[in-house]
Amino acid sequence: MKTPKTPAVSRRTVLAGAGAGAVASAVPLRHGLAATALKVGVLLPRSGGQAQIGIECQYGADVALPILKSEGYPELEFMLGDTETKVDVARAQCERLIDAGAQAIIGCFDSGQTMAAAQVCEQKNIPLIVNIAAVPKLTELGYKWVFRNFPTGPMIVGDAFKNQKKLFGATGATPKTVALLHVNDTFGTSLAGALFALAPRFKMPYKIVEKIPYDPYGRDFSAEVRKVKGAKPDALWAVSRLNDAIAITKELVRQRVDLMGILSTGPGWYENAYLKATGKYGNDVVNLIPWYDENKPMTQKLKAAFKKAHPDLLLTTNQTFTFDACLIAADAFKRAGSTKNTDLQAALRKTNLTNNVGLGHAIKFNEKGQVPYVPCGAVQNRDGDLVVLLPQEAATGKPIWPMRPWRKR
Amino acid sequence: MTPVRRFFGPLSRAGLWLGGAFLLLLLLLPWWGSSYIMTVAITVFYLALIGQSWNLMLGFAGLLSIGHALFVGIGAYTAAYLFAAIGLPPVIGVLPAVGLAVLMGLLIGYLGFRFAIGGVYFALLTIAFAEFVRIVIDHVSWLGATEGFFLKVSAADRHGIDLANLRGAPEMYYYLIMALALGALVLCRFLLRSRLGYYWQAIRDDAEAAQALGVNILRYKMYAVAISSGMAGVAGVFYAFYQNSLFPEIVFNIERSIEATLGSIVGGVGTLFGPIFGTFILTPLGEIVTEAIDLLKHWGVIDPQIKLDGLKLLIWGFIVVLIVLFKPKGLWPWVCARLRLTRPEAEG
Repeated sequence: MKTPKTPAVSRRTVLAGAGAGAVASAVPLRHGLAATALKVGVLLPRSGGQAQIGIECQYGADVALPILKSEGYPELEFMLGDTETKVDVARAQCERLIDAGAQAIIGCFDSGQTMAAAQVCEQKNIPLIVNIAAVPKLTELGYKWVFRNFPTGPMIVGDAFKNQKKLFGATGATPKTVALLHVNDTFGTSLAGALFALAPRFKMPYKIVEKIPYDPYGRDFSAEVRKVKGAKPDALWAVSRLNDAIAITKELVRQRVDLMGILSTGPGWYENAYLKATGKYGNDVVNLIPWYDENKPMTQKLKAAFKKAHPDLLLTTNQTFTFDACLIAADAFKRAGSTKNTDLQAALRKTNLTNNVGLGHAIKFNEKGQVPYVPCGAVQNRDGDLVVLLPQEAATGKPIWPMRPWRKR
Repeated sequence: MTPVRRFFGPLSRAGLWLGGAFLLLLLLLPWWGSSYIMTVAITVFYLALIGQSWNLMLGFAGLLSIGHALFVGIGAYTAAYLFAAIGLPPVIGVLPAVGLAVLMGLLIGYLGFRFAIGGVYFALLTIAFAEFVRIVIDHVSWLGATEGFFLKVSAADRHGIDLANLRGAPEMYYYLIMALALGALVLCRFLLRSRLGYYWQAIRDDAEAAQALGVNILRYKMYAVAISSGMAGVAGVFYAFYQNSLFPEIVFNIERSIEATLGSIVGGVGTLFGPIFGTFILTPLGEIVTEAIDLLKHWGVIDPQIKLDGLKLLIWGFIVVLIVLFKPKGLWPWVCARLRLTRPEAEG
């Protein structure tokens, strides 16, 4: 297997000759390497607001190469692209990767950026294997070259409700009231809106007594937490990003807001940086999110390789879904026996992978390019580790619910 | 003197030749450039168009806007919605799109000027309106709300040219945005040398003196806001049909507004060619840094395993700071002087 490599040579030559280079030509280098390797453009937000998550996704791709080799999959050669957390850059970089010879694209973590890349791939007939992006429309627009093994927003919301019921049933502790605290950006508003609207349809045993939006760039959450305290909910349900999740936890402790539990849907509360920053106060939070199945053999291999490469980090959604995207690409390439786009597309359509790391039985795409059901799990923070509570078949521990009071930690 | 020569009046013979050669190079880009280069060029012209519109407000009339993404977004959403809902082709949809953008501009302008809100406070007003509209669209389900609004595209769209519906090959988008950006340049050149332009410049330089001489400040400021927001609305229509997906958080983001100003600041605020020159420096600069890093990795100067993500933004930011520090009037007047692109008595 080759190490990750940056794309294009001929464009570089032109660049060197062009001096100012503003109009440097980009002659594609499609014939530079033997056809035994599939050139995969890994397009992620490596700088800008989502840089940390993009880098974490890349870790999943990095460890995939040796694992896939050991599993007998053919060679993948990565070409790296940075969306800079911008939609138009995502589009330009996708064009750049394809011009430089990428035969498939993996990306892009963010829905808007993935949508931009999808259009380029659709128009250029290059398969796009989505690692993370939940916007339902992505696989509803009739695209033929987009393949997604990630739950859509409604799947995440539906599973969040189902897993809560199972959690409450298993522990015998059911909250009667819940406060919904959410970041006021596109992601947070959209997800919180769906949670709020769908709670009655799922006949949840509790009432959402307060819906509290907050500024995504906020640093002081004392007012929001005071509002939570005032509403006296049994549990708190948070839709957050990383820094706000850390700050909210600290504020909950400072104001001594003891709850039956904290539920989270979305990033933030399970991430490595959160666990480090909050220590024992980050314990017992239940995350209702897309996750991986620890009991699968491939997960064990991934976990071991990841621990070796990044001893200080825990394996999360970012790496596992990027890993599975690489696995999908390698598997399709193996079955297609060719790097030709139509062969890859046909092979992707017939994907039936059971040796993946994500939850669920198999990766099979429907006619829209979507895996019809990608289950989500319930994952609890536990002393710097992450314990899978649900689904039952992937569970690695028992829930601590109600959570331990702040003072007894 | 022919109208063409009159239009290019400030340019020297060297400037005309250089400009002509550059224009020819750009016209032939689809033949010599890759689709990646074309995508970058489309971004350059798109930002140049918005930059020109922003420059008209600040550079010509002295009105600072940091919410220009608002007008772009209104144009984008209006045309896209009318196309998706009733099949109104964007060639017609551009009229209500521009109309709404202008109305919004006039509303902000009236509130600002009527109550004598100027300078940074006017800028804050534009930001506030952009945020307000973003939040509204976040909650309007028929505009896709936070989930986004999408226009369908297919592989077939890439071939052929349907200018009325703005569906077609990348070359079509390239020539269209090029024409729009150059059209904005011509319009600004015309306005700058018209009575309107002189009034704006008088207001910009000393509003009280202009008023004392009988210039109706409110009216002429409103003209500036209306024309500027209309131009941004046109850019929005292009954006919607080129990107085919609209997310409120992305379209109305303040970052987009700031991005639109950078080309003008680097090129030269208040100059005619500054915004277009600035974007031609800034946007490709970022791409060149990326390519240079790749090149150094390829040559083994930098270890390929070292991840330099974000370095491009650091270098780009550093260069912008240098330009602003050492050429605060922008690069275009300096380049003109160095290369004698304009006649001594003329300005950019």
